[in-house]
Amino acid sequence: MTEEDGRKDCEGLAPATAATAAVPRLDDLISAVALGDERAYEALYDRSCGWVLGTVRRVLRDPAQAEEVMQEVLLEIWRSASRFDPAQGSAVAWVMTIAHRRAVDRVRSERSHATREQRAATAVIDYDDVTEAVQASLDRERVRRCLGSLTELQRECVGLAYYSGYTYREVAELLSLPPGTVKTRMRDGLIRLRDCLGVA
Amino acid sequence: MSASRHELHTLAGPYALDAVSDADRAGFATHLSECEQCREDVREMREAAARLGLAASVMPRPDLREQTLRAAFASAQLAPVVPAAAPSPPGLLAEKDLVSEAQNSPGSPADTSAPEPGAAAASGVTGWQRLRGRAGAMRPPARISLAAAAVLAAVAAVLGGVTSSALRQLDRSKQQDHLIAAVLSAPDRVMVTAPVMTGGTATLIMSHQAGAAVFTAHGLVALPSTEGYEIWLMGPTGDRAAGMVTPQAGGMAGPEVVRGLRPGDMVGVTVEPARGASHPTSVLVVVFKPRP
Ligand SMILES: [Zn+2]
Repeated sequence: MTEEDGRKDCEGLAPATAATAAVPRLDDLISAVALGDERAYEALYDRSCGWVLGTVRRVLRDPAQAEEVMQEVLLEIWRSASRFDPAQGSAVAWVMTIAHRRAVDRVRSERSHATREQRAATAVIDYDDVTEAVQASLDRERVRRCLGSLTELQRECVGLAYYSGYTYREVAELLSLPPGTVKTRMRDGLIRLRDCLGVA
Repeated sequence: MSASRHELHTLAGPYALDAVSDADRAGFATHLSECEQCREDVREMREAAARLGLAASVMPRPDLREQTLRAAFASAQLAPVVPAAAPSPPGLLAEKDLVSEAQNSPGSPADTSAPEPGAAAASGVTGWQRLRGRAGAMRPPARISLAAAAVLAAVAAVLGGVTSSALRQLDRSKQQDHLIAAVLSAPDRVMVTAPVMTGGTATLIMSHQAGAAVFTAHGLVALPSTEGYEIWLMGPTGDRAAGMVTPQAGGMAGPEVVRGLRPGDMVGVTVEPARGASHPTSVLVVVFKPRP
């Protein structure tokens, strides 16, 4: 047994012969998964499991529930890979949209059972709430900087929606603002974020 | 109708953030099918929103992988929705790529199921002891806490995997050797291991007392000869280039000394032209954030 045999992790697709491996594009992986390609799905899992879990956990905050929802999301990706349409957005956005929607659905159903006090307690925006002491992330710093370029109101509206799973009406209530204002701030915030991050 | 149509346009932002009720969502989905402007807006805003999610990435427990794969492979897939004018099947190109990947990857259930961490740790200890011999020449190992011992064991496990190449490179430069030893023996050293987004795992041991960090990685994806992995120190006042790393066999890289570490610096890696860039021009494939 060689020295590296013992160490495998979530990024388990680290190729044995790295010199010959190319990183397949995420779209290509999803297209292959749509055809039932199990290898492609394994690669897709390795590529996206951290994104999915991170998003879900950020919204749900409960690690055990987050793992459960992560698995649901990955299952949905397997099942509905054939529905991915590159014309409607990038593969990353497709994966993240599924992940975020599942997380939001779950947190809302949890919240509908929670007391008013519990609800208020979770309405906290905490951008530096890093669950692990240190975690790598794709461009976390750039996102943090770009969030900093938003107005405070834009940031609050986008953050309460994306990271806490509130509807724009709930955000309006939490911030004592007219719903129309919140809708606009969400849009403006996202557009500013898009421009800052250079994603289209 | 135009008032209510205008009303619907304004839902694009909340919809892209999933900040709509189920009823609003259904209503807006219908609107989307007839409003090209909103489709485009939602598409763009979702790209931005997705990055908010990426920024929160955390790696799941390794055992979830097998569980999830098994559940998926046991489930039926939805049939494709065939568009009116069928494009050429996607996936054909991908399949070709994937054949070569499949041959290389250790992804089959049989070989992912037996990680035997003990074996790695054992071989790693040897590597660590050899390195510590060097460190010990500079600073006798102080009595270490349990937490520090755990860090050392983890360092050992990581360095164990790169022992031969690590030691070869250590011999290459005495100065580098001393810095590595200084980092590894510094009382304030912190070791962080993180997955690299493009594949592989990177480890950084940093010490502000030594003003340096040591970067190692395994499983890195090989790059064309025109490209390399570039390390960055990212501080409040800007990004500084901190060296290139070239993966060796098995995607192993380092140990590379990262000099000039300042408090508050994050350490990141991007893929850049082989001669290096003066500032990061592509996405970070891994970022290490120091503990406050
Ligand atoms: Zn519209």
